[in-house]
This record gives sequence, C-alpha cells and structure tokens, in this order.
Amino acid sequence: MQNAIAANARSEPEFAALVEALSADPARRDQLSELLRESHPVYDGRGTASIVRMRGWVLLALARGEVPDAALIFVLEELDAGADAYLVAAAARALRSYPRPTEALAPFVMRALTNLRYRDEPVSFESYGEYTVSSAGTSPVRELLTTLAWLGPHARGILHELESFSAQSGGLSRKSRIDVDRALHAIRSSDQADKPGTDSCCGTPPNGAKSTSSWQPNFRRDSEPVESVTLQDQDCELITFKEFFKGQPSIVVFFYTRCDNPMKCSLTVTKLARVQKLLEAQGLAEQIRTAAITYDPAFDLAERLRIYGRDRGVCMGAHHRMLRVTDDNDALRRHFELGVNFVASLVNRHRIEAYILDAGGRVAMCFERIHWDEQQLVDRAIEVLSEQHLDLLAQPSRR
Amino acid sequence: MATKRKTAKRSKSAKRSPSLKAFARRAVSIAINERNTAKQRVAALAAEPLAAFENDKDLAAVLNILRNKDEPIAVRLGALESLQTASFSVDTFAPYRGDYLATLRKIVDDPDPELRQRVLGLLMREHDGSAQEKLLEGLKNPDKALVPPEKALQLLSYDVHAEAYLVARDIIKKPPNDDARREALRLLAADPSSAPLFEKLLRDKNELREIRQISASALNALKPDRLKEHAREILLDKSDYDDIKATSLTALEQFGDDAALGKDKALLKSVDRLSTGQATAKYKQSAKRFLSKFTK
Repeated sequence: MQNAIAANARSEPEFAALVEALSADPARRDQLSELLRESHPVYDGRGTASIVRMRGWVLLALARGEVPDAALIFVLEELDAGADAYLVAAAARALRSYPRPTEALAPFVMRALTNLRYRDEPVSFESYGEYTVSSAGTSPVRELLTTLAWLGPHARGILHELESFSAQSGGLSRKSRIDVDRALHAIRSSDQADKPGTDSCCGTPPNGAKSTSSWQPNFRRDSEPVESVTLQDQDCELITFKEFFKGQPSIVVFFYTRCDNPMKCSLTVTKLARVQKLLEAQGLAEQIRTAAITYDPAFDLAERLRIYGRDRGVCMGAHHRMLRVTDDNDALRRHFELGVNFVASLVNRHRIEAYILDAGGRVAMCFERIHWDEQQLVDRAIEVLSEQHLDLLAQPSRR
Repeated sequence: MATKRKTAKRSKSAKRSPSLKAFARRAVSIAINERNTAKQRVAALAAEPLAAFENDKDLAAVLNILRNKDEPIAVRLGALESLQTASFSVDTFAPYRGDYLATLRKIVDDPDPELRQRVLGLLMREHDGSAQEKLLEGLKNPDKALVPPEKALQLLSYDVHAEAYLVARDIIKKPPNDDARREALRLLAADPSSAPLFEKLLRDKNELREIRQISASALNALKPDRLKEHAREILLDKSDYDDIKATSLTALEQFGDDAALGKDKALLKSVDRLSTGQATAKYKQSAKRFLSKFTK
C-alpha cells in the first residue's frame, strides 16, 4: 500500500492531489494517518522543506474532518517537540478536529506555545506550499491560542501557566493578546458543573494516542538479522551488535549531531545522561547498558560522537557507548523499525524514539514520538532486567 | 553576568525614560519624512532602533520604508538594518516578528540586487522555506535567479537540510563560473558522499590551489583518515606546491598518529627539505614546527 501511494505521488502537486482525494473519500480517509509516518516511501529522498509542506498538508486535511485516534499521536508529536511554525500551526488546527477533547491535551498545546512564542510567523493554509507575504492571516501562536479556547474547561490545568504567559511583558502581538484573553475567558468562564474529570496529567498522551509499545518475550523480533552488524563507538572501537547488545538489557536512543531541533536529538542525548545517573544511583550501571546510535553514520564519525555525548553529560565506557554503524545501517533501521527518512545520507525527518532491548538484543519496549520520562524508562528497563533473573531461576526446573 | 545585568538595567531604563522615548519618536519622524536627506534619514534609523520599536505605529512606519520601492535605496537598506538590529532583542521584537518576516518575503524579488541579496540572507538564516525554494529555482533556471549562483549556494549552505546537494553536484559538472564551482564545493564539504570527489580534486595538481585547499578541509571533516593518507603522499611528492604541502603538514600535525609520524623517515626527510628549501618563510616555519614536534 505504501509503495503504491509513493508511486502515485512523485511530485509535490501529485502528493497534494492524493491527499485531497484521500480526504474526500470516507473509505480511504484512514490512509492519511499512514502518510504521517516519516519512514513512508513518499518521503524518500526529499528535502526537509518539502517534507514540512507535505506533512502540513496532511495535517490540514485531517483538520477538515474528524481526527481519528490513529492520527492523534502525530498531532501531539508536533505540539510536543515541533520547531517548524507551519507544522505546529497545522497540528494545533488539526487538534480542534479531535472529537474527544480532554485535559490531557492542554499541556501539549501549552508546551508548543512556550516553544514557539518567540518564533511566531505568519503562515497560510489556503493552498499547498503557499508562503504568505502578509501577517493578516494566522500563525502558530494564534492557532495554539484558538485551540486552548476550544479546549475551554479542559484546559484548566494550564490556566496558571497561561496567566503568567499573558503577564510577561513582551513576546505577544496585539492580535495575539486578544487571542490570549479569549482563551483565558473560555477556560475560566466554564460552568463548574461541567468541570471535566482528570483523565490524565503532566502531559502524558490521552488513551487514544499510543506512544509506547511493549512485547512479551515470546513475541519479540529476533535480533539474528542484525547480530553481525558492526558498530564503532566514540573511541573508534569496533564491536558487533551481538557483542554489545546480547547478555544484558539495554536502553537505546537514536539521534544525529546535525539535528537542528533542540527539542529532539540534543534533548534526547541529554536525557540519556540523566538515565545513566538514575541507573548509577540504583546500582544498575553495570547491569543495564545504554547506547545512543546515530542515524547519520557517514557524517557522525567517532570524534563527533564523543564530543556530542561529552557536551551533554553522557558517561561513556564499556557498558555505555555512543555508536555509529559502519556497514549495514538499513539492517538496523529494519530491526528497530526506525521512524526516520533520508535525502541521500542526510536525515530529512525523524521521530523521537527510545528502546529497551532484552538480554537477547530483542526490542522489548519502544517509546516513540512524545518525550519520554527518564524514570519511567529506567523502571521499564528494570522490569526487563528482572525477566532475565526470573529466567535464571526457572532454568534448573527446565532441566 | 555583570554585563548582562547592566544591559538588562539599561534596556528597562530605556523603556521607562521619557527623554529616550521622545528621542526615539523624533528619530522615527526624521526617518519617515521624505523631505529630509537620505543621509539624515539613515542616521535617524541607526540612532535608537530598540527604543524606536516600542509601538506598532513606529514599526509599521519603518516597514513601510522598507517595502516602498520609491524610497531611496540607502534609506530602505537603513530601515532593513534598523529592523534587523531590533530583532536581536528577541523578547521586545517578538510581537513584530510576523510583520517583519512577511515584509521580507514580499520584497525578496525587489529590483535592487543588494537589498534582494540581504533579504534572502536574512530569510535563509531563519531557514525560511520560501527563500530556499526561490534560491533552488534560480540555480535550476538561471532566468529566474534572484542572486548570482555563487551567492545562492552560499545562502543555501546556511541550512544543512536545504535540498542543495543535488543542485551543487550539477553545478560542479557544468559550472557557470569559477566562483559558483568553488561555492558548490564548499557546500558539499558537509556531504559524506562527496568525499571521493574531494580526494580526486586534492590529488589533481592541475587543479586550482584554492580548490585543493577546500578539498583538504572537506576531507578532514568527512574522511580524516583518507586525508592523512593523501597528505603523506603529497608531502613525499617533490613536484607538488608548497602551500598544499603546508596544508597537508597541518593535517598530519593536528590529526596524525604521533608515534607513527615520528618513525616515518621518508616523510620527515621530505618535511626537512621543505624547511630548508625555496618555500616562503611561513611554510618553512610550519615545517620546522612539525619537525620539532616529531623528531624529539
């Protein structure tokens, strides 16, 4: 299916026409969510600006109907860590088409507002790929504030944050100030009787949006196809996948040093350093390994990896490494089912992703798209570690 | 920290002080008055940009100058500079950023080449998709080019994620001029798949020396091990140029394996020749520094 879509949408105008066709056909509308996967072949070999235009158009098509649960995670992803004004604005608009507004959505909108506040710019949704030359239309900040107003009582959890946002002296245009007041009014004026239940907190995605997946031992993908893949670490030492990842559970994150979104790779590697500290504090630094693997091994040479990790506080040694693949990057991409795509060897789009591997190098758990919590990641890794202990206990009875 | 505090204090007092506000208002009124000379208006625009943009009216007036093709170009460039200076104060300028960017996009194809180039540069620093699209279009279709190809390549290199590698490779195959070829190579210096091209250029003694130096620098970033190998071969080659040898020497000195270099008799002999031969004093000095490091 993905390849058929890619074959039918080689140029951007063809892609835009395809999106329109899918959007207009209730039987095929669900395919729009598939088009938001960055690994979709339709994004192969395209530059980042093209991908922004394409994904933005899909989000806007979703906004014209009802955003299904399957697409919600892509909308929240953009609000959580998006840095592009057009995509964040389109995501904010799309969220208003989600049929079940809840309190869990408000922190995502507020986070996007904080991230984009000083980088607001006019955007146009009128036609595919249009760049507006007028500030009369909309902007990410305006879309986000409109979405908070739409959430109304469901945004009570971020009311104080929005009030202090409004009280800060600079950063908002006159038009945006009106939008802030409107949002505040909508949140405050809601009837107490309509007070929504607390269905989640702290910016964790609502039930409809799936940002973690886990697999029981019997259902995990075998690591055999990648066991011979050679990796090089920050000190130029060569090691195979099997040598490093088999024998102990591991926490693995993906990144690349040329990523220009500070909310993605730089933050991911910084958070890995915090994960290492948590492991150390619990005396598990020798029992659970950590690795940060680059998406861009041709550019991210060992020295770059070392400096990038060092500057973000990563502890590097035999059990904790910054890695690059030296031979079959595609095999690794398939094993993890990475959410990434490339124009030649350069990453053109990727998601946030962290994995827990079991002692057999098999993926036991995946955290994707939304920022993961360091403690939660460590807790899940400890669960995987305990599987190993249970296995050892079970061994004598097997014999 | 002390400097930051001082700056913050100054900026707050600038906002409060009625005399500064009055001065800023007067500066804007001089700048927008077409009866004043261009010199007076440019000087007024440069006077107090941050204080001047404390209200929408002042900003709109300066944006109007920038947009107006009938205004003298010096005044329009002054307006652009004033706005750009103001934009460094992110917090103060944020409410006006949208209008500013929209205006830049609007005048990106202005008849004045200097204004056009500066506007494109500012937009590319923002990673603006529309500016990127126009620059790429101009490289593919020179009739639509807003700036010369070498400038377009330079501006595209501000964003590593611009779709510029493919077009840069095409320019190297069929360069419109030497400058465009050089800028295309500079842009490709971040593209690992271009490493073989740089190896070839570095070893080509008929190639321009500047191009060979760009190639050495690119290889150092992309394939440092290959650069070390080529650097050694270049240093052993009696017929190669002294400046290229000096570049090779630096590469080995910075990134080479100290123990191996100290034992490489052929290499040390060749460097010794460079230190005592016909080379300029600068290159001789590099060679002597290398020898003193590796022959201890």
